[in-house]
Amino acid sequence: MSERSRFDEFKAGMRPRLKEWRFMLKRMRESRLALAGIIIVLIFVGIAVFAPLLAPPHGDPFSVPQDMEILVIQTSPTPPSTRHIFGTTDQQYDLYYACIWGSITAFRTGLTVVAFSLIVGLTIGTLAAMYGGLLDEALMRFTDIIIAFPGLILAMALVIALPGIFAINLSLVFLLVLVVASFLLLIFHFDKKILLIVQLLLLLSLLSILFFPVQMNLSLTRLDKVLLSIALVGWPGYTRVIRGEVMRVKNEDFVEAARASGSSDFRIIVKHIWPNTIYPILIVATLDIGSIVLTAAAMSFIGLGADPNFADWGQIIQRARNWISNVDLIVANLHAFLIPGIFITFFVMGWNLLGDALRDVLDPMLRRR
Amino acid sequence: MTSLAAYILRRLILLIFVILGVTVLVFAITMLFSPDVRAIMYVRNADQLKPEAIPLIIQKYGLNDPFYVQYGRWLTQVLQGNLGWSVSAPGPVLSVIASRWPYTFEIVLFAAPLIVFIGIYLGVQSAIHRNGLIDHTCRVLSIVGWSLPSFWLGLLLLAVFAGELKWFSPGALSQNWINFMHAGVLTGTYHRYTGIDIFDGLLNGQAGLSVDALSHVVLPVIVIVTIDIALLIRVMRSSMLETLTKPYITTAKAKGLSKSVVIYKHARRNALIPVATLSGLMVAGLLGGLVITETVFAFGGLGNWAAQAALQTDIPGVLGYTILSAFLFVIANLIVDVLYAYIDPRIRLE
Repeated sequence: MSERSRFDEFKAGMRPRLKEWRFMLKRMRESRLALAGIIIVLIFVGIAVFAPLLAPPHGDPFSVPQDMEILVIQTSPTPPSTRHIFGTTDQQYDLYYACIWGSITAFRTGLTVVAFSLIVGLTIGTLAAMYGGLLDEALMRFTDIIIAFPGLILAMALVIALPGIFAINLSLVFLLVLVVASFLLLIFHFDKKILLIVQLLLLLSLLSILFFPVQMNLSLTRLDKVLLSIALVGWPGYTRVIRGEVMRVKNEDFVEAARASGSSDFRIIVKHIWPNTIYPILIVATLDIGSIVLTAAAMSFIGLGADPNFADWGQIIQRARNWISNVDLIVANLHAFLIPGIFITFFVMGWNLLGDALRDVLDPMLRRR
Repeated sequence: MTSLAAYILRRLILLIFVILGVTVLVFAITMLFSPDVRAIMYVRNADQLKPEAIPLIIQKYGLNDPFYVQYGRWLTQVLQGNLGWSVSAPGPVLSVIASRWPYTFEIVLFAAPLIVFIGIYLGVQSAIHRNGLIDHTCRVLSIVGWSLPSFWLGLLLLAVFAGELKWFSPGALSQNWINFMHAGVLTGTYHRYTGIDIFDGLLNGQAGLSVDALSHVVLPVIVIVTIDIALLIRVMRSSMLETLTKPYITTAKAKGLSKSVVIYKHARRNALIPVATLSGLMVAGLLGGLVITETVFAFGGLGNWAAQAALQTDIPGVLGYTILSAFLFVIANLIVDVLYAYIDPRIRLE
């Protein structure tokens, strides 16, 4: 009986949300641009999923194969042929293979960076908005500092400065996590017993740092460094949006009602505040995927991208940099940057169209007109 | 007015802290490099490159000292105007900035007004013909422009206009004019009054040089306008759409004012406010350097230097450039906020 009624309660609670989603879908279907965006993104999902069939890998799938037979004759790019349907670029790397597997890299780039930015943005933005005062001031001024940087330059500086191998002191990481955890537990008014356990562990890790530090070596590939740099530069935008949204929602009646009925801060944030801030965040994230991929490609173009043989669109175009001094080479090797560039443009455009349509559909100021 | 002055003062104080924060952060990033790598930045001759010389440099410049000691030492130098030596330029960072800046300025001089005026015009047209042909064209074009990788667009333009048509060429000036200029500077018959070739050519009575410099600016400007105008059109469009729903617009229409008076006198002026912010920050961003565009066109401005510096691990160069860009951004932010108070009477500065 109680199971049943709880299910009904859940269903009743979901009903307005379902209605909202259905309305959204209807609006999305009506917009041609939105449809175009969805189709483009889905095509890329298809290319990424079927990459092993479209371009069967030999060995490491992300390492673009070189045609050694042509390489012994010439290094300069060859035009599309039956042997290489998109042709080859400098050093006889196969363009078709790079374009197909590059779409996985693009998804990986966009989604990893957005996920990282979201986690940081949600944590900092929510803390700043909910607990205000000095904490808010300190967190937001720090955010201001990061925003003041030109993103690309800071990311470039980080890529060259980040060491390839991190010697991580696990004890120290553990200690930091526990300090943050106990801080969060304190402000979220959690169970005293859990807090006690965390503090005991904290003491233990402190002892560990002093007497038996645990070390671990973490090695970063060049692509990892690029992703980490873009993420470290990108989170402040999310933090601002999320802080603003939480500020807007936190004084609503339903939050007051939840608080009056004795919900903990944690429950209020997760169950009541976050679900009501999700749309603007969704729009920002969707639109951001495109610009992240563009930034990563731009960094590749400058020469700060993934490894030279890595399947990445920007990395393939990067080879064109050597031809700038001689314009005739740019014309002769047009296909070597034209084709990967089309992949980048369409990938970014798909996400931008989708984000743009989402904004039109979700923005309460413009909708239902 | 006093409240405005107090506001500016408070913002200036805050600005100092933000800039200090910026320097701490950038300096902290450079500290990720091992002292050995940082020691190379102090090498001036081949003797100092020897392995046994490196520990001496580390000791001499205290590269193993705690962070705050090194930062303090560096900041003292910076405040005295010494930003270090850029290996990639090569030259002292401040004079590199001074000599490269005019090139970036040449591009921005043409790109910024084009972006702002065309962007506002198209945004307004898009909004008043909502869902019409103009609107759809503008939306599609701005999404496409926004999705284009700038280096790819640059390469395509180079292939067509420089490779096939031979109308333009990469670089900031043709080689024969560069030679002419250098010879002129050496013999004292040519003076670089402003450092901006387009103006200097005219001031020296060499119109040919100005025309040549101008022709080299065309392609970079096209790239930047195509890409950056997208955001401006979008913001102008949505701001205009929002303004057009305001009650005072209905009142103005009800009073019997003509359509153009309502749109251009009443709606557009108010809709311009968010666009003003965006334009300010955009120009600051452009002045801070067009890293990718300048690299594609081998245009010797600040951005090109920054890319070179990053590639060659030229730490003082990257540091100097990052701080310069952040500085420009923060100042532009302040100017925009203060201008706001003038443009928008609703904003009270408490």
